[in-house]
Amino acid sequence: MPSVIRLEDVSFAYPGGRPVLDHAELSIPQGAYVVVRGPSGAGKSTLLRLLCRLEEPEFGRILFRETPYPDMKPTALRRSVAYVHQTPNMVPGTVRENLLLPYGFRANADIPVPDGESLRSMLDSLLLDDISLDAEASGLSVGQAQRLCLARTLMTVPDVLLLDEPTASLDADSAEVVYEVIERFFSSDRTVITISHSEREPAQTTHRLTIAEGRTELSS
Amino acid sequence: MSTQVIDIGLWQLTLCLVFVLTAGAASLWYRLGLGKDLLVGTVRAVAQLFAMGYVLKFVFALDMAGPVIGLFLIMTATAAHLVRGRVKGYAVPVAIPTFLSMFISYGLVSFLVVGVIVGAKPWWTPQYFIPLAGMIVGNSMSAIALSLERMFSELKARRQLIEMQLCLGATPYEASRGIMADAIRAGMIPSINSLMGVGLVFLPGMMTGQILAGADPLVSIRYQIVVMLMLVAATAIGSVLVTRLVFRRCFSASGRPVLRG
Repeated sequence: MPSVIRLEDVSFAYPGGRPVLDHAELSIPQGAYVVVRGPSGAGKSTLLRLLCRLEEPEFGRILFRETPYPDMKPTALRRSVAYVHQTPNMVPGTVRENLLLPYGFRANADIPVPDGESLRSMLDSLLLDDISLDAEASGLSVGQAQRLCLARTLMTVPDVLLLDEPTASLDADSAEVVYEVIERFFSSDRTVITISHSEREPAQTTHRLTIAEGRTELSS
Repeated sequence: MSTQVIDIGLWQLTLCLVFVLTAGAASLWYRLGLGKDLLVGTVRAVAQLFAMGYVLKFVFALDMAGPVIGLFLIMTATAAHLVRGRVKGYAVPVAIPTFLSMFISYGLVSFLVVGVIVGAKPWWTPQYFIPLAGMIVGNSMSAIALSLERMFSELKARRQLIEMQLCLGATPYEASRGIMADAIRAGMIPSINSLMGVGLVFLPGMMTGQILAGADPLVSIRYQIVVMLMLVAATAIGSVLVTRLVFRRCFSASGRPVLRG
């Protein structure tokens, strides 16, 4: 399988901090379902932030389908490589306004805007069937908000989905549903890279990525 | 009405030190620790104003465009330096964009007021251009500082929200649309508020100065109206320009917010 994302000799440290990645090499095959593991503070979230260009490597380069990141427009890259934060972030407004947020951005002008029925069925699939599309998003619980954020990103159908502990604030039943939805999204031409602390490893996991002491190790 | 200005002699000026001593006594009595600042402030104010008095006398006597524009440039550069000091904690370089926004907005408004509205000939007539431009620089400087402070603090506070929108395909501008509007509003509000209070709550310095110099109050108010309106324009243009120019520096080439929480 060709690589969808490749790190070449990448080093990164936060200002004044120790190196999070130290000349790291990594090649993520297209269509891989990668579970990222590592001790707390090892740099798992930082790796995802580097992959969606919310951080820049100090050294080395990252490539998306063999194109170096700096040669791509940031909006085009982030449309292909989408990141869902660990803590849910929503703009003031209704659930519907939050779900439709990406379609107001110029870079997404060619994506068809989903109708009410599609929004409803996406929420239902994430066990949010009791939430009205016209409810204020600020009234949702953390778990509900987290699922709403996941739904919002999934609907833009990115090539690579980066998830930072998507089930951290969910009970066991909701977590199971989230895994099922992610697994449905996952296919041979879509890649999922997810940080996980939980024991459960999704059935479709193809690779395990370990980060420790600035090094990355990908195993099948 | 007499048009004779009563001169203030040196001993009368010295007598004014009593006012500072009153403030000094309050500082001592309540242990405010302001004694040194009061002393330095008083010495600086006296020295700076005397220096400016002599510079103005010299420039008025020369009656040439170059020194007038030079003085305007120095005032603008000093204002840009002071603004930079107010926002230096944010680690975003602001000196050049601030100077440019001030130079463009203040220069344009000063030229329109002196050359077109007041109709002084030539437009750089020092007796008109320097005091009016000085008022614009002095008053609008805080508008630009307020806009920058608001923009930086909001970008820092809402970083997660901005990042989330960037991850959904937004450009930096799309992800922080509301922040720029808030910053421009913060800069413009004080000059709009002063339109509400003028003549009722306070008599502005320029009008007071003209009346003290023996001018007809009805002429003074016309000048004051011009000044108030030109300040509204200068703060609006300055705030819009500075937020637009500095905003680009708040994001890296990859569209990543550079201000960390």
